[in-house]
Amino acid sequence: MSQGQDAKLFQRGKIQEFRAELLAAESKDKKFTKRKTVLKKIVANITMGNDMSPLFTDVVQCLGTPLLEIKKMVYLFLVSYGRSKPDQIHLVIPSFLQDCNDRNPVIRALAIRTMSYIPIPVVTEAMTDQLRHCLKDKDPYVRKTAAICVAKLYATDPKKAERGGFVEMLRDLLVDPNPTVVSNAVAALSEIGDRNDGVTFKLNFHVANKLLTALGESSEWGQIYILDSLLRFVPDDTKDAEMLAERIIIQMQHANSAVVLTTIKILLYLMNYMDNRKLVDHICKKMGPPLVTILSSGPEVQYVALRNILLIIQRRPTVLRNDVKVFFCKYNDPIYLKLAKLEIMYRLAREENAREVLAELEEYASEVDIDFVRKAVRSIGRLAIKVKPAADSCIQSLLKLIETKVTYVVQEAIIVTKDIFRRYPGQYEGIIPTLCENLDLLDEPEAKAAMIWIIGQFANRIDNADELMDDLVYSFLEESTEVQLALLTASVKLFIYKSSSETAKQLVHKVLKWTTEEIDNPDLRDRGFMYWRLLAINPAVAGEIVLVEKPAITTDSDRMDRGALDQLLLHTGTLGSIYHKNPETFIRGAAGRQLIDTPALNQTSRQMLVIVTHPNAPRAPVKVSGPGPLEPHREKQAPVRSDTMVETGNLLGEGNEPNVIEDEEEEGEEEEALSPHVKLEQVSQDPYADLDGVFGSHGDQVDEPQSAVSQASIEDELERAQRQRQQTSTGSEPAKPKRNGTFRQSIAAFNQISQLGL
Amino acid sequence: MSVDGIIILENSGRPIIQSGFRSTNATYPLLHIDTLNNALASSPQKEDVDPVLYVPGYISDGKHSACCHVKCGDVRILAPIRGDVDPLFAFAFIHTFVEILQDYFGTLSAATLRDNFDVVYQLLEETLDSIGYPNTTSPNQLRDIVLPPSLLHKILSVTGVSGLSNAGHGNITPFSSPIPWRKAGLRYNNNEIYFDVTEVLKAIAGPTGTLYCEVQGKVDSNSRLSGTPDLQLTFTNPDYLVDASFHSCVRLRRWQRDKALSFVPPDGRFTLMEYRYLPPTSRSLSAPSTQVPVPFTLKPVVTIEEDGGSFSVSLTSRLSTRLFDEIVVEFYLGDGSSGVNCTASHGTSWSFDSRTSKIRWDLKTVPPSGTHTLRGSWASSKKYPRPAAAFRVKYDIAKYSYSSIKIDQLRMSGETYKPFKGFRANSKGDVDWRW
Repeated sequence: MSQGQDAKLFQRGKIQEFRAELLAAESKDKKFTKRKTVLKKIVANITMGNDMSPLFTDVVQCLGTPLLEIKKMVYLFLVSYGRSKPDQIHLVIPSFLQDCNDRNPVIRALAIRTMSYIPIPVVTEAMTDQLRHCLKDKDPYVRKTAAICVAKLYATDPKKAERGGFVEMLRDLLVDPNPTVVSNAVAALSEIGDRNDGVTFKLNFHVANKLLTALGESSEWGQIYILDSLLRFVPDDTKDAEMLAERIIIQMQHANSAVVLTTIKILLYLMNYMDNRKLVDHICKKMGPPLVTILSSGPEVQYVALRNILLIIQRRPTVLRNDVKVFFCKYNDPIYLKLAKLEIMYRLAREENAREVLAELEEYASEVDIDFVRKAVRSIGRLAIKVKPAADSCIQSLLKLIETKVTYVVQEAIIVTKDIFRRYPGQYEGIIPTLCENLDLLDEPEAKAAMIWIIGQFANRIDNADELMDDLVYSFLEESTEVQLALLTASVKLFIYKSSSETAKQLVHKVLKWTTEEIDNPDLRDRGFMYWRLLAINPAVAGEIVLVEKPAITTDSDRMDRGALDQLLLHTGTLGSIYHKNPETFIRGAAGRQLIDTPALNQTSRQMLVIVTHPNAPRAPVKVSGPGPLEPHREKQAPVRSDTMVETGNLLGEGNEPNVIEDEEEEGEEEEALSPHVKLEQVSQDPYADLDGVFGSHGDQVDEPQSAVSQASIEDELERAQRQRQQTSTGSEPAKPKRNGTFRQSIAAFNQISQLGL
Repeated sequence: MSVDGIIILENSGRPIIQSGFRSTNATYPLLHIDTLNNALASSPQKEDVDPVLYVPGYISDGKHSACCHVKCGDVRILAPIRGDVDPLFAFAFIHTFVEILQDYFGTLSAATLRDNFDVVYQLLEETLDSIGYPNTTSPNQLRDIVLPPSLLHKILSVTGVSGLSNAGHGNITPFSSPIPWRKAGLRYNNNEIYFDVTEVLKAIAGPTGTLYCEVQGKVDSNSRLSGTPDLQLTFTNPDYLVDASFHSCVRLRRWQRDKALSFVPPDGRFTLMEYRYLPPTSRSLSAPSTQVPVPFTLKPVVTIEEDGGSFSVSLTSRLSTRLFDEIVVEFYLGDGSSGVNCTASHGTSWSFDSRTSKIRWDLKTVPPSGTHTLRGSWASSKKYPRPAAAFRVKYDIAKYSYSSIKIDQLRMSGETYKPFKGFRANSKGDVDWRW
């Protein structure tokens, strides 16, 4: 086979030339070799995107040639240009009809398939009768081709397809003796059902069971269609769900990874309708190994699998529980694999394996890829927050990393250290001096803000805090908002700690003046006013307010809502599971799937049932309640006093939701105890909702500590909201503060205070 | 659940062949090609580009899609998907299509695709329906519908004697076989079936020992048997083969019941099964004491200085009787490395690729308990060179398997002849050794 011989055909051909050649080929072309060559050239030109449609009539004449190869090429031509020639297409119809009755099944199938590709009324009209015959053809190849043609006919003309009884004929094919025909009928019905215009495709137990008998002999694609269609079966009885699950569980041993993942999707779905705890555990145990097997495939497949594993282990924590090592990164893994593995390692980390996981993370922190290194460092911090017994060693390794003086490592380490301080108050503040030594390395807003927070919060333990702050404030007006906010709060804290220090006094004055007079950002300005007033009224109380004990930090915010998770898992393996979003949010017209409530749906899944298909907005990680004008949705709560603050926190703690310190992932099902109404009570995302309260109807109580609590918490809330906004760059956007209203209100509040003569 | 089509790009990012994309806008494939090319151009490492790229639609239609792509030889194969389609479905299809192309053309390259574009086009038509349903993907059936470009075929068409292939078309009845993966009426003079076992050890090791190690095995088969033989294959130690996955032809229930492989094989080459080897004593992936031992030890010492560094690494075989047939050690020295100077011990050779900044050390036939060393130094344009954290070691051991897998018995029913059976085992390894 000499190279490039056929490549010559790629030369752009001239229409005229081809026409002449075709004409010449009509005579003295015994074996049709001439025609074949010309047609080959024409097809080559189609491939290259050259318009060959002027040759329509000439090419179509070759259709009578009794040679399969030529017929195929003519059909290829027709598929490309048929739809653009509605006025000439009638020329071909007699040939179509003749071929539909050819002796050779390949030609019969080819003809009916090509007709279905051409959505022109004359063709569709001619096709309907032929299609009816083909659906009952004795040859399975023709039947299976015809099944798909029905879906295409339905797409062109739904009314005709329904009136012609084609959907019923497809349904009859579901029990065809040939498995390929069955699976194509399933595929066609699914396609028609997904269009949501009239026909719904639902399976009952009997048919579902029947389909599974065809499963064993189907090709892998057929298996995928059949398995996928099981999502259309809604079990009314737990027994049905369990039986189906037992029948398909074996498909997880298929060599095709798409079959395996589709099987897992169906199992996860059916598990919602199961009562038998033992069986559920058994299935979970069986799911691990096939997932690990997929991980030995190529990187693309691994990537899809990893993204799905991440979802699955959040919903079914027993899956892969002991297999964290499988996810250790190899040096040569592509970066997207490493990042996906890292996330899973963090999820699987618990006390028993924390040491191994930490050792791995340390290893990654010394690698070259900046993005990966950052995520690794951040994961060390998250590990410290998640697994208490590992916190000590995590801190040690963070300190080691800070010593490397590699800027992005140091910055990332400082960001997480701040969270660790908040998670374990009073335990690790000894390392502050080490952190302060690296101040000069910080050039990113997030890291800078974190370091400034640390300096402010622990100004009493840092001897030269005022000097450090003075340096930092130097470039105040050029900093990003995030850093400015941090500087503002920190200088107030510094002043409260060291009110005797002249530097601190000047510093806070300078910063407050800047924020209220030179900054246009209402967030900053409002906060500036607030602090100023606070300090003006009573510095001692201001101290209590600003330095109040912070609410505990959690790793919960990076966890997905159970209801949303259940929904996402119905999309296991699909695009939605890669982006961790419900498909209807980013694909127009995609049908969101949801669990359907039947008597068989088990209690835990029902509790989490999401009825609205719109995805939940991200939750606030910490609930902040405080005095102030009650928001309408909070009115049912008892009037909040200073002491109820704590109680509310505990209440939530019991509910195991927003204030939980650790991920209770081991228990997994435990969080199901949480009743949905707890979530409803959560304060809206808008931190300013509470801010209004500070000066609102309780304006006359500003000097009482309870308002203080809310205020201090707001500050953290603000910081956190800010951070989240940055972290969730790929996730959904958190609600933006309603700036306008707030601004007006705070001006009003400001006036009110002024009137009070404070 | 369907892919919108297949696009094959050559190395430069230009499309060679694409399927029809009849149900989509004409710009749709172009949009995907552009998105991919942009992503490749903006990524410093081509292999780091996400395998599933999000392709935003036009603002007006808001139809977003995703582009799944796989690099394969010197071409890249794209499968655009829309709606909530399983990307694995797309990848599984791409892999199947690649296998078909390899089956038809021997190798897959831009040149062979260009030479045989008419066959590729027909294959695309046959394997992928216009609305994206995979049609016929079993090579056994495809050969009935699309003729492979054989040398004979070429000669016939050149000399104008096409009667032979023509006659073939008259009486074939595709899908006449009740078994989708096997065609009916096969005849061979010599009935033979071969089984090739390849076991790959994948491990991460370091100064603290082996962190993670597993052995994955694969049984490839080449079947040339007449008629419809029904085979039953048993291994001597099936209990150590876990998490097995099988070709569609294997009856899964039989394996579950008595660990026997019962199947009617496809014709030609196919992968019969894949498994993980679990050493006899262990029953859990995480128990470290029961891993398969890595068959060598590596003693790496890396010293990083300003503007460069030096290293020495010695490799000792831990095999007691066998030879390593080939070992390759690779080490990435970090961006901007140059001036590499090494001494390799006798019988080994080293080379440095300045494009990838990787040093490569080739060791041939390492005898049992043999030791080899490589010492060297390099200069770097960076003040603090950042070499890889691990040496990558790949090796081959012929006629050996970690699991000592053996065929116990191969029984055949349904046919009367006695087939010739062949069995061969091979082992490979891919180890990350951290320093």
